[in-house]
Amino acid sequence: MTSRKADEARTNVDIWVVLRRLLQLEASGILIALALLCVALTVASPNFRTAYNLAVVVRQASFVGLVALGETLVLLLGGIDLSVGNAAGFSAIIGALMLTSLGVPAWLIIPATGAFGFAIGLINGVLISWVGLNPFIVTLASGEVFAGLTLVVTKGYPVGPLGPAFTMFGNGSIATIPVPILFFLGAAAIFSWVLRYSRFGRNIYAIGGNRDAAILVGIRVRRVQAIVYGLAGLSSAIAGILYAGRMDSAEPAVGGSWLMPAITAAIIGGTSLQGGQGTIFGTVLGAILMAILANGMTLLNVSGYWERVVIGGVVLVAVLVDALRKQPGARLPRYLTFRRKT
Amino acid sequence: MADSYALEARKISKWFGPHQALKGVSLNIREGEVHGVIGENGAGKSTLMNILSGKLTPDEGELYRDGQKVLFSQPIDARHAGISMAPQEPTLCSLLTVAENIALGAQSLGRFGIDWDEMRRRSVQRLAELDEDISPDIPVGKLNASRQQVIQVIRATPDWASIIVFDEPTSSLTMRETSRLFTFIDALRAKGRAIFYISHRLDEVLRLADRISVLRDGELVAELNAKQTDRDEMIRHMAGRTATRAQQTEKRPQEAGNPVVLKVAGLSRENEFQDINFDLREGEILGVSGLVGSGRTELGKCLFGVTKPDSGTIEIKGKITHNASPVDAIANGLVYLPEDRKKEGIFPILSAAENICVADLGAFRSMLGLSWGRMVAAATDYARRLGIRVESPRQTIMSLSGGNQQKAILARWLMRRCNIMVLDEPTRGIDVNAKFEIQQLLRRLTEEGLSIIYISSEMKEILDIADRVLVMSEGRMKGIVDPAKLTQEALLQMEMT
Repeated sequence: MTSRKADEARTNVDIWVVLRRLLQLEASGILIALALLCVALTVASPNFRTAYNLAVVVRQASFVGLVALGETLVLLLGGIDLSVGNAAGFSAIIGALMLTSLGVPAWLIIPATGAFGFAIGLINGVLISWVGLNPFIVTLASGEVFAGLTLVVTKGYPVGPLGPAFTMFGNGSIATIPVPILFFLGAAAIFSWVLRYSRFGRNIYAIGGNRDAAILVGIRVRRVQAIVYGLAGLSSAIAGILYAGRMDSAEPAVGGSWLMPAITAAIIGGTSLQGGQGTIFGTVLGAILMAILANGMTLLNVSGYWERVVIGGVVLVAVLVDALRKQPGARLPRYLTFRRKT
Repeated sequence: MADSYALEARKISKWFGPHQALKGVSLNIREGEVHGVIGENGAGKSTLMNILSGKLTPDEGELYRDGQKVLFSQPIDARHAGISMAPQEPTLCSLLTVAENIALGAQSLGRFGIDWDEMRRRSVQRLAELDEDISPDIPVGKLNASRQQVIQVIRATPDWASIIVFDEPTSSLTMRETSRLFTFIDALRAKGRAIFYISHRLDEVLRLADRISVLRDGELVAELNAKQTDRDEMIRHMAGRTATRAQQTEKRPQEAGNPVVLKVAGLSRENEFQDINFDLREGEILGVSGLVGSGRTELGKCLFGVTKPDSGTIEIKGKITHNASPVDAIANGLVYLPEDRKKEGIFPILSAAENICVADLGAFRSMLGLSWGRMVAAATDYARRLGIRVESPRQTIMSLSGGNQQKAILARWLMRRCNIMVLDEPTRGIDVNAKFEIQQLLRRLTEEGLSIIYISSEMKEILDIADRVLVMSEGRMKGIVDPAKLTQEALLQMEMT
C-alpha cells in the first residue's frame, strides 16, 4: 500500500527523475542503445533490415554469444576466465579430430566436444577453487596452453572437411531458424532458468556478492566455483565446434579473437566485474549488439580495422553508464546531477 | 551426565602459529539454555565459537553433540548437526533481496525450481517473529546497518537450528530492536533451543544468560551463575583486576579559557545532519553522542572533507576553511580516524612502522629515496611513547591486537602534528584494558594541546572521557551538556527524543 502511494507521488515529479528511474532498470541502457543502433542502421543502409541480413547478424552473435554466456556465469561468481576463446578453438580441433580421425558419429560430436570443454574448464576451476590460485593468472596461462596445444596437434593446418552430416549444425536451419541460433537461445534459456530458479544458480550470485556469507550459509563454494569454470569451458567448446561446422573445418586460429567480444557482451549487458550482478538476458542483448555493430560497419563500408577501436569505445561507454547508474549524483559534476529541492 | 548436554566441548586447544588462542577450554550447553560467553578481545571467544560452528578445526580436544562425538571440518558439517551462527560482521549478499538472503542455501523448491513466492511468504513470516516489517524485495545493501543485523539474526535462526551462536548481535541495533531481539531470544529458549550469546555488553549478558563463561587469554577462568553474579564480578574475572575510570583533569578547558581551535556554525548536509553549531577548545575532548543513524559519523566525515556541507561554516583557528578533501583538512591540522578500522584505517599487510609513517612519508625522504631506517626508528619511538606493544616495528599491523592497531593509527596522525582529531568509535572492538589505556593516552595528549572530537555510541564511555557532550538525534543537535551532571539514562532520554 505504501508503495502504491509512493508510485502516485512519483507521477508528478520531474522528467529527469523518470529518466533516471528508467536508467536504473537493469538492462535498460543496452535496450536503448540497441534500439537506437537499429533505427540508425535502418535509415543508413537499406540492406540492414532484410531477413537475410538479420539472420546473418544473429548467427554471428550466436558464436560469441555462447562464449559470453559461460563467461557471464564466471563474472557473476566474481571471477574471470581469459581462456574461453582459446578453449573454444582447442575444443573445436579435438571435436573435429574425433569426427575425421576417430569416426565418432556426427550427432555425438557436439555432446562429446562439450564434455571435453567442460573437462578443460574444470581444470581451471579446480586450480582456482581448491588450489586457491588467482583466476586471472590461471586462465591467462591455461589459455596460452590451449592455444599452443592447438598448434601442436594441428601443426597449423585446419582439420576438415567435416562433411555434410556435421556441417548442418553450423549451416543448417530448423523451421527457417539457423541451428547455431537455436543452440545459443536454447543455452541462454537454460542458463537463465538455472540462474533464477535453481539453488546452484542462486549460489553463484551469493558467492559473487559475498563469498564469506556464502561459506557461512553452507554453500559448497569451491564446488560451485569449479563447476562454473567447467560450464564456461563447455559453452565455449560448443561455440567452437558449431563454428567449425559452419566453416566445414576447424581452423586453428578460431576462437583466438573471441575473448574480448565475449567479455564485452557480458559487460555491456550489465554484468558487474565485481561479481554478484548481471543477467543472461543482458548478455544476449550484449552479444547481439556487438554483432550488429560489426554488421553495421560492414554495411557502411567502414574499414575492418576500425572494429576494434569501436569495441573498445563501446566497453568504455558501457562502464561509464554503469558507473553513473550505480552512484546517481555521488561523484558526478554538478551540472550532470539532478537534485530535488526540499 | 554427558548425554544431557546438547553440545559439549572438551579440552579444546587451538594454535595460530606459535600463538595459542585456546588452552584446553571445556564448555557445554543444554537445551533451552542461554549460555553467555564473555571475555576481552583476544580472549578466545570468537575462536571457540568458530570451532563450534565448524569454521575452524581444533588442534586438540573433542566435540560431543548429544553425547555423540562429532568432527566438523567445514561450516556445512556443523549445520548438518543443527548448529547455526550469526557472526559479528554482517555477512550478507548486499545485491540480493531480503527474502533471498534469509533463505540463502535453503531456498524453497517448487516443481519448477526455486519457488520465489513461497520464499517471500516465509521471509515475511520470519520477519514478523522479530516484529519487523521490512519489505522482502529490497536488496539488503539498501538497508541500514541495524536492519542488516536483524536479517543476519533471522537467517541464523532457521527451524533446523537447535544450537545457535550469536556473536555480538546488538552491536549496531537500536534500543528498540535490541529489546525485540531479547524477546525473540527468550522465545527461542522457550522452544528448547540452546543459545550461545557473546557480547561485550555485560548488562545484556546478565539480562539474557542462564550461565556465563568467562574467557581470559584462551583459558576458561570462571563459570558464573547469571542469577548470582553482577557486572563487577564479571569484569573482575575478565580483566583479572578491577577496572577504574580514566582520570579527569582538574580544570576543564572551557573554564580555563583555552583558545577556540575549531568553530562550526550552522553546518548542514541534506539527509545527514542539520544546523550543527559548536566550539572546540584547545585541549578539550568534545564527545559526540547519538544512536545509530543520528548523523554522528556523517558529521565527522564532513569535518574531514570527505563530503561537502550544503551550508554552514567550519573555522579552524579563526580562519574559515573549505575542506574540499581530506588533503586540505590534514593540511589544516584536522584528522579523522574512521569507525571501521579494518576497512578504512589500516593497511593490513604493511608493517606497523609503515602504517605509522604512511601519512608523513615526505619527512623520510633522503638522497636514496625513502629512508627505511629512519622510518623504523621514528615508529619505534612513537610505539614506546604511546605504549604500542610490538615485537618489531616491521611486523605486519594485522598481527597486532585491535587496541595496538588503534594506537598505531593515533601515532600516524600525531607524527603529522595535527591539532584536532576526530575519533569515530575509537574503542570499537577493543578490549576493556586496552580501552582504558587508550582513554588515558588521549587524556595525556590533550594535556599536550591536542583537541579531540570523540564520537561514540557507548554512553558510558562518552560520559567517562568527554569534557562536554554534544548530543545528536536524527541529524539534529539536541544540545551540548556537561557530563558531570548527566546520567546514562538522562543522556539516552535526550537521544531518543
